[in-house]
Formats: sequence, structure tokens, C-alpha cells
Amino acid sequence: MHSNGFFLTDVAGFLGGYYAAIAAMNGVAAYILWRKKGQPGWAIVWTAVSVVMMVLASLALSGSAAWVPSLPASARGLVNSLSGPVLYTLGTVGLLTALFVFRRFFVQPMVAWTILNVMLVLMGLSMADENFASIVMKPDNVPIVGLVFLLAFFTWLATKQAVVNDDRIARGLPPMEKENDEKVLVWPDLVYTELICMVAVAAFLLIWAICLPAPLEEPASSVKTPNPSKAPWYFLGLQEMLVYFDPWYAGVVLPSLVIFGLMAMPYLDFNKKGNGYYSIAERKFSYLTFQFGFFVLWITLIILGTFLRGPNWNFFGPFEFWTPYKVEVLNNVDLPQMFWVGLLDKPLPRPPAGAGGLVQAGYILLREAPGLLLVGAYLVLLPPLLAVTIFRGFFAKMGFIRYMIMANLMLLMLTLPIKMILRWTFNLKYIISIPEISLNF
Amino acid sequence: MAEKKKMSVAEILAAARAADGKGAAASPPEPKATETEESPAAPPASKPKPAAAKPAAAAGGARPSVSDILAMARANKAAGAETAAKPAAAKPAAPAAKAAAAKPAAKATEAGAAKTGVQRDTASILAAARAGAKPGPVSKADAPARPAAKPREAKPVAEKAAPPRTVATVPPKPVKPAKAAAGAAEDRRTFLQIALGSAMAVGFSALAVTGGLFSLGLARFLFPNVLAEPPSKFKVGSRDGFPSGKVETKYVAQYGVWVVNGDFQGQQQIYALKTVCTHLGCTPSWLEAEQKFKCPCHGSGFYKDGVNFEGPAPRPLERYAIRIADDGQLEIDKSKTFQEELGQWADPDSYVTV
Repeated sequence: MHSNGFFLTDVAGFLGGYYAAIAAMNGVAAYILWRKKGQPGWAIVWTAVSVVMMVLASLALSGSAAWVPSLPASARGLVNSLSGPVLYTLGTVGLLTALFVFRRFFVQPMVAWTILNVMLVLMGLSMADENFASIVMKPDNVPIVGLVFLLAFFTWLATKQAVVNDDRIARGLPPMEKENDEKVLVWPDLVYTELICMVAVAAFLLIWAICLPAPLEEPASSVKTPNPSKAPWYFLGLQEMLVYFDPWYAGVVLPSLVIFGLMAMPYLDFNKKGNGYYSIAERKFSYLTFQFGFFVLWITLIILGTFLRGPNWNFFGPFEFWTPYKVEVLNNVDLPQMFWVGLLDKPLPRPPAGAGGLVQAGYILLREAPGLLLVGAYLVLLPPLLAVTIFRGFFAKMGFIRYMIMANLMLLMLTLPIKMILRWTFNLKYIISIPEISLNF
Repeated sequence: MAEKKKMSVAEILAAARAADGKGAAASPPEPKATETEESPAAPPASKPKPAAAKPAAAAGGARPSVSDILAMARANKAAGAETAAKPAAAKPAAPAAKAAAAKPAAKATEAGAAKTGVQRDTASILAAARAGAKPGPVSKADAPARPAAKPREAKPVAEKAAPPRTVATVPPKPVKPAKAAAGAAEDRRTFLQIALGSAMAVGFSALAVTGGLFSLGLARFLFPNVLAEPPSKFKVGSRDGFPSGKVETKYVAQYGVWVVNGDFQGQQQIYALKTVCTHLGCTPSWLEAEQKFKCPCHGSGFYKDGVNFEGPAPRPLERYAIRIADDGQLEIDKSKTFQEELGQWADPDSYVTV
């Protein structure tokens, strides 16, 4: 589905401007570095990059398949064939872990600038692919691309400040925030800043709305579901969770727990350090827990749902054509089925025909016994077990109630990745499956 | 005068406490102690008012100065306005105020007489004009107005420094209005009672009736007498139109039904599947090549017989009732559904054998 004909002439203008913008960006960076006289070597590097980008811009503007810079078809094919929900999730987790572990390296401005350039160039090269461009340039998806970059920037900024503070604290100095303890008056300083921001954002949104109008679609119909059907982008994490759970859990309980957990956080936090300044070393547990929940369980799922989930909610590689006829084998089995039929080689316990309500309930309980026991052990046995092992210190500092709330919130949060892994490895659909009363877990 | 207008936090608090009248009895204990001579029997809320009344009298029972009038005008919202009335009537007003705290209605009659005689100065005319302008809210509003004025006297008292002195030294003028307010309001209220009382009753009755009718209309609107849906029973032609293995999708758009001639547990049946995914209610699409129903929302998949096999859907699609009508056509009844997990697919109403 690579019709590199009209498509390239359409996208050429954009790509030309895009590479020119990267060139300008690097030119400005080189100029600033040169003026600061600190790193002339880097200034020369960015000047060279800027020149290369100008060349790429002119190549892109040619609009001919031979010249527009793009990824080789073999590379795109490889990416497509490799990508899948498992690799995507594990890959993002691994990437984020590496970024965290080697944060001292990545917070250096020149390293970050290099990564930004690589990301932008990769994006530009991918843009020459019709399938990639058609997804990324959808008016609905453009803001998400922007948000990814924004999020990366702010995370980088916060990490940088945390690293600086951690170093200072290790040397016995107060954090930077204490050093530059500048006071800003609400009136007029802050209010004026806010006013200016407000005007700028309003102007930006206005231009955006004019340039990228929202798509007008056909009237809604209860018997016609668009394919793919996507939630608003900020709920795509929820939609992805729904792939692994019954609606009552992924659509009601988990989101409520997210909100409740966020509200409970300040009350669960017993660590007095890190108030009012960035620090990772002083609050490793809080930092990692939050970042895991936010990045792995929310942001990456949004990106997955936006760019990689196509018709029939199938997974598509970034350069793959979104065909509704893609066949993916997703046969899933419930745990009772696995246990009774697979393991014991017996039929599922079924109540005799015409049995009373109590007998039926008893049979259902028997059928679901393995799942109920598992979930019960997970939620009832694990918290005390953790309290006497890895969370021993936490339990001592937090007290019974706070510890139990924390432990349960965390265990419930972890149900999502656990369920995902079980789905990928064992094709497990539900651990408890009682469709008779719509209770599945 | 300007500094009079601004109430300190303490004053506001005092006012707020006193505003409930009787309820506030406990809150200002000092006034009780220092001003017992004034109104031992009266509820505490009224006490400050007599205190105010005395200075008012002392101030001369004369017309208020221009600045007073201005202050009054500035100071009040709806209720403070009438307060400007007849400063001279300190004597009659005092009992009136006491009574007012006890019973607003009674207060009105008493003060009426006092007021009519004296009402000649600018303040009272102003007040009268305002009172005429907004008659409704006054009865309620003058309750807050009174306490608002009170604390000006009461606060110094509360400070315990020199309660009697403060009462004496605080310029009486801003207080006057407060006390006078009671009288003025009472008078006006009498008028209202006579002239508008019945009209109000009529008005509110009309409002109640209108509201009731509106609610009834709304209820009717929510349960309209029209059924926008197609009839729940419809015919889809004879059995010959559904060859073995066929999933008929042409009834989806109008009725939300797939008519399938398929094999279920070894038996060839024609059944009507409801086009609602059992996971979250999207409409799956029938994929002829893959021979499955596939939901676009979360990827649930169902076999041709409606049984779920992939994705998160927890149970099979539901069936509608189907039967052979008297004319030999298949008739589907959407008012009845059959769920496999409840064993209802064994019900002969849920299929037609081929």
C-alpha cells in the first residue's frame, strides 16, 4: 500500500518546512552555544546538523520518490513485523527504565538535544510513509504527537532538576529551589504572566482550529459503530484497559481507584523529604510508583491506542496499512476452563437441570473456586505478607490502616499489568468468570 | 463616617452570630452582663438595639447630617435603607425594636404610628422611596441589617475595656438608622399586608399551580405517547431465504439483528442474533472471510453461532425470539432475548429448526 505518487507531492511541502524548522532550531542552538563560548565544539556540530537539515529540506521539497528522504522499505517492514502489543509494552517499559537508570547521562543538555534531533528526524523520515503519515497527520492525532514531545520535555526538565538536587544533597548543600528562593508577587507579576499566557494560548488555539478543523462525521447511529471506534484520546488508556477486563472493572472500578488513589496520596506519604523541590533519590518509592502508573499504565497506553490500534482494535505496526481484514488470533480462555478442562480433564461443573438457585450458586462457586482463591489470596494474603517482608519499614512507619490502603491500591493498580501479561502468555481471558451475574475479573 | 462603614472581622462575626436572633443567645455573653438594665427579658438579639437607641436619642433626635445620609445610603442594600427614617422617634422606637426582635409582625403595627408623625427629613423620604422600590425582600433583609448595625455598639462592649463608655462615645448616627429601620419596615409591612398580602398569596398560589402543571408536563414529555422504534415484531420472509451457513446482515441497519442459518451444537437452526456486543455494547461487524463477528471497539470476536471466543467479551451474543408465523414467514420478536450463559438457548422460542 505504498503509493508513493501523489502522496509525496502532497506531503513534500510540509516535510520541506519541517526539515527547515529543524535546521533553524539547530542554527539557533549553535548560535547560543557559540555566544556562550562554553562549548564551541558543540556549536560546530549543531551548525553542521543545521546544514544537513537544510539539504534534507530541499530534497523533501523536490516531492519525487527518489529524493524525498525516507526510511528504506526493509526497515519499515522489519518494524512492522516486530511490533505487537507485547513488544510495545515491554519495549516502552525497558526504555523508560533505561532512561531512569541512566538519568544522570540523559539529563545532560547536549545528550537531550541529540535525542530530540534524532526523534524529529526519525519522525520526518517516517512521515514520507503514506500509512504512517495518514495516522499521524489526522487532525485528531496531531495534538497527541505534540503532547508526546511536550511530556518528554517536561519530564526531562524535572528529572534534570532532581538530579542536580540529588547531587547537591549528597554534598550536603540545600536544594536549588532553596538557593534561588526568589519571591514573585501574585499581583502584578504572576497575574500578568497568566494574562499573557492566556492571550497566547487563545491565539494559538484559534490558529489551530482554523488550520486543523475537527472532522465532521455522519450522524450517530446505535446500529453502526465506526471501525475502529476510538474514545477521546485522553481515554484511550481506559479503552486499552477494557481489552483486558470486564467493563465494570476497567471502566468503573479502576478509574475510580485512580482518582481515589491520587487523592489518598498525600495522606499515605510519610516521607517528609522532597517537599517543595525536585528529588528522586530521596523519594525513590513514590517517584517510581507514580511514574510507573503514569507513564506505563496511562501514557504508553494512550500512544498505543492512538497510533497502533486500528480497525477491529487490532494491533498495527506504525507503517502498516489499516485494513479491517487483518486476522489476528486472539482466542482466549477463562481460568475455570483451563483448570477443569485443561488441567483436570473434566467438564466444567454444571448444576443438574432444574436445580434451585442455591444449588446453582454452589456449582458456580465450585466452578470458580480456583479463580476466587487466587484473587482472594492476592488481595487478602499479599498485603500482610508484604508487610512482614519487603514493606516491613513502610508498615512500621505508616501504621495498619494507611499501610493497608497503600498496599491494596498498589495491588489493584498492578492487576492491569498482571492481567496483560497473563493474556499474552496464557491467553487467559478472565480469572473469575461468572457471566450469569455479569461478574468477570 | 467612612470608617464606620467598614466592619472589622470581629464585627462581622458578631453580626453573623447575632443574625439568627434568638439562636444566638449564648454567643455574646458580655452584652448580657453590661446591658442587663436595658432589656433583661428580651432575647439577646434585640439587646444591642436598645443600646443603640439610647445614643440615638442622645444624639439629639434631630435630623441626620448630610454625611449621615450619605453613609446610610452607602451602607445599606435593600434593608438598611428604610433605616434612615425618623431619628427623632427614639422613644417609641426603642420599645418597637424590642418588640421587633420578638415578633416582626407585631413590631410593624407599633412602629407605624411613631413613624408617620415624624417622617419629614431627607433620610426618611429617601428611605420611603427605597422601601417602595423593593418591598418584597425587606422583611427578611432587615433582620440582617439590624444585627449589622448592632455590633458597632456590641463589639466595644465585647472588648470589655469600657463597655458603658463605648456605648456613650460611639457616634450614634449610624445606629439610628438601624433602630429606625425597624420602625420604617414595620410600617411598610403593615401597608404590604393590607394592600399586597392577598396579592402575594394569589401570586404564590399561581406559581405553585404553574410549577405543578409544568412538572406534570415534563413527566409527560419524558414518557411520550409515541414509539420511535420500529415494531418489536417483524417478518423477514420464508426460511428459503436463509440458506445454510448464511449470515443475513441486511436487517442490521433497521432492526439490529443478524439472521443466521447455522449449526449450533449439532443442530441446524435459524436464529436471530442481537447486534450488541456483550462487552460494552458496540455493534460488531460480520466478517465473511473470517466467518466471525468482530467488534471494532475492543476486538471481541464471536463465532457464527454467537459464542464469544476472542477479546474481552464475557458471554455470547444474545438471541431474539424467532418463530414461524401463520403465513409461513419467519417472525422475529425483539421484545424477548435469550442468553446462552443462562441456558436459554435451549428454549425452542429462540430458534427455528431447518
